[in-house]
Amino acid sequence: MRLVRCVINQRDYDRTVADHLTAVGFLREDLGLTGTKVGCGAGECGACTIIVDGRAVNACLMLAAELDGTVVQTIEGEASGGELSPIQRAFDRNHAVQCGFCTSGMVMTVKDLLQRNPHPSRQEVIEGIEGNFCRCTGYEQIIEAVLDAAANPTGDRADAAVTKDDAHV
Amino acid sequence: MLHQFSYHRPDSLDEALGLLSAHGDRARVFAGGTDLFVNVRAGLLRPQHVVDLKAIEALQDLSWTESEGLSIGACVTVNRLIEHDAVRDRFSLLAIAATELATFQLRNRATVVGNLVTASPCGDMGGALLALGGQVVLLSADGERTLALAEFITGVKQTLIRPNEIVARVVVPNQWSGAAAGYRKLKRIKGHDLGVVSVSMAKHPLGLRVAISSAAPTPLLLPEMQLETDLATVQSHARQMISPIDDVRASAEYRAFMVDVFIRRLFESIPTPGAAAQEVSA
Repeated sequence: MRLVRCVINQRDYDRTVADHLTAVGFLREDLGLTGTKVGCGAGECGACTIIVDGRAVNACLMLAAELDGTVVQTIEGEASGGELSPIQRAFDRNHAVQCGFCTSGMVMTVKDLLQRNPHPSRQEVIEGIEGNFCRCTGYEQIIEAVLDAAANPTGDRADAAVTKDDAHV
Repeated sequence: MLHQFSYHRPDSLDEALGLLSAHGDRARVFAGGTDLFVNVRAGLLRPQHVVDLKAIEALQDLSWTESEGLSIGACVTVNRLIEHDAVRDRFSLLAIAATELATFQLRNRATVVGNLVTASPCGDMGGALLALGGQVVLLSADGERTLALAEFITGVKQTLIRPNEIVARVVVPNQWSGAAAGYRKLKRIKGHDLGVVSVSMAKHPLGLRVAISSAAPTPLLLPEMQLETDLATVQSHARQMISPIDDVRASAEYRAFMVDVFIRRLFESIPTPGAAAQEVSA
């Protein structure tokens, strides 16, 4: 067992974890942050993508112990005060969510992508989400959502603004 | 859920090497974990001690010097390599091949050294580093030794690393700095995939080098050729050296065919150093 001190979604955590616990196991089982999903568990599908110290990573191939001293963002940190983030609103506007299983990881990947490259080309978006599988195969809508989010970084496109209550996420 | 093991995070090389000496086969080092934890989950590995090298500052070093060349520490991630100025300016082949490795998220964790130590026949970094004359620096409590990458990888997932050793870094000498280069990787899909077969090529005033992956138990480096060598000769060297297999991803025949095709595409698309000047004088 070991102590892990980290900041997750701007909140301090101070927990004792088993050495062999994965980061995604820690988020889901210990902290109840079940927005982060486990798909393949082998770094192929990207459903477990979180942002650690500013870099998108697969939480299934990382140990909870490695989170000690880090700053983490998960999907739970994306909306604030009942308001969806600009990326979430773009996903909603473009119907980029079908079953929703890939969405948490997809949004984290897109957040990281747009921070590195605020105005990606369509091809850069396609390559950027290469590590996230959507088994509903709704890629076109996701690509449109990312391009929309890049074009509307504040998310306040007046004709399409939605609140968390009427966005079914 | 992973099996129970002890996690160690040494912050000095001495401490890390001491742990390996003490625990031998029961210990596994890791930096990115993108191979280790996949193998652990698949039941292929069951270490009792997992030694995380990332807190050891010396192993995070990625630097270029006039005297030695490019030094890539054990914990340098693939994305850090891609972003490094000296890599882009001097060893573009490394950046081109690295960009083909897995996904963006994995490249944020996976290390260059790990890709070599895993010694998969289809690893993306092996061919590129062979072509650029990469050397592997191994460390143990007994001391340091340096091996040419071509000697280090001996078979499918086999290397000369001993249980008490780590690969501290990979060195790319300056000799082939500035080589014009390319990498072609055959995949089953447009997205990320293991290479079905891949070819790295570097053209430099010193000569022509070609490395091939997924067409033999180890990445192969063809004998160094002169820049003036014609395409048919390069392809014939490759045909003599490869020993591709039939598997679920492709037939041996298709792999051999695509090696030929990739060599031609690279040969024709990579500019030959000095060629433009020759054309002018002719």
